[in-house]
Amino acid sequence: MKMKRILCVLLSAMMLLCMFTACGDTATDDTSNSNSDSESNSDSETATLVDSADIEACEIVFWHAMSNAQEAALTAITDEFNATNEWGITVTLVNQGAYNDLSTKLTASAASDTLPDLSQAYNNWVTSYIDKIIPLDDFVERDYDEMDYEDILQSYRDENSEFGFISGMPFNKSTYLYFYNKTLFDQLGLSAPETWDDLINIGKTFQEELGMVSLGYDDLAGLIEATLLQNGAEYISEDGAEFDTEEGLEAITYLMDLYNNGYARLVGEDLYFSGPLGNCLIGAYVGSSTGVSYITMNEGYELGVSTLPGNVTNAANTAGTNVMMFTTDANKQAAAWEYLKYLTNTENTVYWAMETGYMPIRTSGFESEEYQAYMETSEAAQACYAQQEAYFASSNFDGSYDVRNDIGTKFEELVLSGADGQTAYDELIALVNGILQ
Amino acid sequence: MKDYSSPVYTVRRKLRPFKGFLYLLPSIIILCVFTIYPLIKTFMMSFMEDYNLVNGTYTAINLENYKELFSDATFLAALKNTGIYVIFVVPISVVLSLIIAVFINDVVRGKAIFQTLYFLPYVTSVIAIGLVWRWMFNSNYGLINSILNLFGIESIEWLNLPKYAMPALIIFSVWKSLAFNILIFLSGLQTIPQDIYRAARVDSTPKMRVFFKLTVPQMRPIIVYAFMMGFISAFKVYNEVYSLFGGTRAGPANSAITVVYYIYSKFYNSYRYGIAAAAAVVLFVIIFVFTMIERYVTRDRDKVKSK
Repeated sequence: MKMKRILCVLLSAMMLLCMFTACGDTATDDTSNSNSDSESNSDSETATLVDSADIEACEIVFWHAMSNAQEAALTAITDEFNATNEWGITVTLVNQGAYNDLSTKLTASAASDTLPDLSQAYNNWVTSYIDKIIPLDDFVERDYDEMDYEDILQSYRDENSEFGFISGMPFNKSTYLYFYNKTLFDQLGLSAPETWDDLINIGKTFQEELGMVSLGYDDLAGLIEATLLQNGAEYISEDGAEFDTEEGLEAITYLMDLYNNGYARLVGEDLYFSGPLGNCLIGAYVGSSTGVSYITMNEGYELGVSTLPGNVTNAANTAGTNVMMFTTDANKQAAAWEYLKYLTNTENTVYWAMETGYMPIRTSGFESEEYQAYMETSEAAQACYAQQEAYFASSNFDGSYDVRNDIGTKFEELVLSGADGQTAYDELIALVNGILQ
Repeated sequence: MKDYSSPVYTVRRKLRPFKGFLYLLPSIIILCVFTIYPLIKTFMMSFMEDYNLVNGTYTAINLENYKELFSDATFLAALKNTGIYVIFVVPISVVLSLIIAVFINDVVRGKAIFQTLYFLPYVTSVIAIGLVWRWMFNSNYGLINSILNLFGIESIEWLNLPKYAMPALIIFSVWKSLAFNILIFLSGLQTIPQDIYRAARVDSTPKMRVFFKLTVPQMRPIIVYAFMMGFISAFKVYNEVYSLFGGTRAGPANSAITVVYYIYSKFYNSYRYGIAAAAAVVLFVIIFVFTMIERYVTRDRDKVKSK
């Protein structure tokens, strides 16, 4: 009995102790609140760069989420670097599973200060630990002349400097394309759409002639953003919805009409449209350019790939991660930078693109003989190249990821309830403002 | 002769309780680090406005998170769905598995085979099972719709329409949870003394009567246990939702979102740590109250019975 009592006391003491340590932690953390992002950034900026000649042999850990052909290509490039680099740098690739897993692990390791030296990451994953990213500005300035850096596509450079410093190097970049059943299109006397009106015409023809739905979108949030931009409207900013305009209403109404008239459908249980397109259950869909490797057309049917149709202007979503640096060790930073340069140089970005279906991140990559020859054989690569001018990347700020998640769900709900354009417009604006304001 | 009043023995006797504590220490430390500390931390996080997990900062300590939580339609939907899920899945599963267990127990030959078959879902990955069920629910090629069609019922778009998302989830989860319940019921059935059944047979008691008057009362503690475990795990449903709807969302337009799914997405997708913690606390309180009520109800009956 007595022992029980003692145990009780000890247990409660232990618990209290835990509580106090927990309190202590947060209290000290809280006081460090004032010297937040700006300082830690300037810290690493003022740190002297290790000269490329002075790099000592070391191991660089690189977390990624690439699988299959993509992983094989990344491994090939990395092995080559490990074998040939003059400093004895060894880059170790660590596959962390799918994007979601990688993002989760990054968040957890940011909290425990165990981030890898390098990692693939979307900008919207890191908004809560921007101060842990090592700015690459000084490296870029030292090693790239203007031509070298501006060789990287404008939209990627913009994306990688949206936090006010160069936060990473673009790596596996894709864009959205229009995939269609070319055989059915030919039969119906249709060609790939160039405008919104073409889409409606295709929708009508498929419905009347074959009783089929002709359009689907893998990514609804991306669809809304692209459609707004195509109509000359704006999307969102930190202050809330920016599409509360005439053009915005027009774009949303156009979208809802596509669904309400039965020209477009939701992906539902299929998860991605690559399956239904291959099985002739849908006429066409808009999805990632890397999806081309997942489409297997039924026997006797041919796949067509085209650019996204536009209205007032053209706008095409880009997707894919950048590689960010987190190591705080100056020597490792310099070593990781050498690897980043290698990974994104013209030769490797072309090799990467040809092996995986992603796009070269450099203009010189697109223009290289090798890639031009490859484009001859790949309709998807041609389409990517053709809509280069229309690329945009979604901007990231506090809450933008929530909007991205919730606006897709809301839109799905609106389509399922058959809402009209005005209702959808009102509800989408209310949703966005609810999150951001 | 030993001198028990010597100081050595006094010290030893006084230290004796601590010896036991020493043995417990490893598990207490593990419990504190991995259960009690996170629990306390979660409670604290739930009161911190704009808590940032990475650098531990927050703007204020107040009830903002809870206010936001209860004005969030998604959370209320998650609460409602979880409630529906618990109310349907647990009783249906317990009753069905009790009946199946009784049947398996009565099988004379091949009992082991049936036991293994019915236990398979428990040892198979939920993700794999979800994949199979997703195909069975498929509106175009699904087995379930083919069977419905045989009976002249039109195909149902189980996974495409919000109104069928919860029913699909419940059917899937009932099937999935049968395995564990059957296992514990089977082991329970084997502990019932056979002579009362023999007595019943001598009296040629009808089977239904035997079931309700003998089997069920004898199995009562195990049924209570199955209900309790079922309720607790049903409140925490996540894997089933994740795997049945393909891992990208909780059903069409999030129509089958549950509380844990909500917590996970707030924490890992939206980085709203405070909100996620507040939702976790709400779930904790619900499960706690529910378990207390259940314990109270069952304990009371035990007392009555023992009199």
